[in-house]
Amino acid sequence: MSFIDEQDRRYAPLWSRIREHPFLLETRDGTLDPETFATWMRQDYLFVEAAIPFIGALLPKAPVEHWAPLSGVIGALEKELHLFEERAARVGVELRGAPPAFACHAYVQFLLSTAAHASYPVAWTVLYAAERAYHDSWVVVRDGIDPDSPWTPFVENWAGGEFASYVGWLGGELETLAREASPGERERMSEAYRLTLLYELAFWEMAHGAEGWPGTDDDLARTAGGPRWNPDPEAATEGAWSNLADHARKATGEVDHD
Amino acid sequence: MTEPISMRLHAAALPLWEAQLDHPFVRGIGDGTLEEERFRRWVLQDYVYLKEFARVFAWAVAKADRLESMGWYATVLDMTLNKEMALHRSYAERFGITEAELEAVSMWPTTRAYTDFLVRTAADGDMADLLAALLPCAWGYIVIGQALAGGDRPDDARYADWIDQYASEEFESAGTWLREELDRVVGAADVPTFTRLREIFLLSSRYELRFWDMCWEGEEWPAAEAGR
Repeated sequence: MSFIDEQDRRYAPLWSRIREHPFLLETRDGTLDPETFATWMRQDYLFVEAAIPFIGALLPKAPVEHWAPLSGVIGALEKELHLFEERAARVGVELRGAPPAFACHAYVQFLLSTAAHASYPVAWTVLYAAERAYHDSWVVVRDGIDPDSPWTPFVENWAGGEFASYVGWLGGELETLAREASPGERERMSEAYRLTLLYELAFWEMAHGAEGWPGTDDDLARTAGGPRWNPDPEAATEGAWSNLADHARKATGEVDHD
Repeated sequence: MTEPISMRLHAAALPLWEAQLDHPFVRGIGDGTLEEERFRRWVLQDYVYLKEFARVFAWAVAKADRLESMGWYATVLDMTLNKEMALHRSYAERFGITEAELEAVSMWPTTRAYTDFLVRTAADGDMADLLAALLPCAWGYIVIGQALAGGDRPDDARYADWIDQYASEEFESAGTWLREELDRVVGAADVPTFTRLREIFLLSSRYELRFWDMCWEGEEWPAAEAGR
């Protein structure tokens, strides 16, 4: 059995909880409170911002053949930020200035601490599980959403073929890393997989229930979320993952030749 | 004459520190009424917390700008790993918690988030960031210990010993050294530096408060039953 199949069997109840989350089902059915969706947008925007230094911190550990694709991931994440900005402007949501919710802050610290302290295979496991969870979640939304929904561009981004191809490439590389890993390292990878799924679930829970921090002063919860962008409004907001999809095809081809 | 940065940070976080002193968990230690079940949560979670806290001192050894500071952090690291952890284990025994139980503890969400925040700030930040992140714990426990020591001694010797430890001169002098080290490293902080350090200091203070909440209420991951 492949490493990923093994994990998916082990954590099947977590996957079910993610895929059946009311946030996703209500987004799909068009019944979600727009302010709830706005909460998710603000928090996920902060998360995507922090994902960029996470990827950057992986580079010193990465094999040289991962440098180009990981650089591509950073570019794709920047385009995702533009997608958020464009959608937010369209529906009149103020994206910036929200303090990170606890689940968002905790997940970001997990990513950054993993990048700094964990091995490359463990960190890669986190990257795969996070992206895979996004793909699977938005596939749930795709199957039934009104094509005219303002959230359809998010569906197209994460449930689309380019992102699927990128996740497939991440999975293939994860299998290679797992094959080369010792039993102890595989167990640490499995634990990272579990924690990532827990954080993914906690993120939907937070967005749906708007959980907060102790204390009430939002200003106190405000933290440095990572570098701020000066987005170019002219930049394309669609096809964020197209360059990665190209790379994935090439990389898969190269792997086949080995 | 500008106030030292440590005092400015303390002033900014005062409401969060006062909320800790007023927390039923902390008050319960002070008057000895805290239910053992709640305190056991602290013993277990603080043990896994301490392991990660030690990593912050390891980073401090690596990042310190002078030999004297490197030596000081190395001493604290040695004390934490080779003495305090052992003390914590024998203290845990007084609550019927075995070493095997301590080693099997898994982190609750607040412990996980707080320690991830600390070690990643230690790894990615500079010395000032690192000190601002660890002071709300290192300094905060002394403030709590001293405040509780000013009241009547709880009947339960285990709580009284807890207070004695954090109110001790040894902890006081370590806390003072850390504060002065932050003041020395930062010097006269410009506005962006102060803002950055304030955010870090407030976050750790917030996590300290949340840690008491966690131990008071208990905590679970979402879908705890599905996660294992």
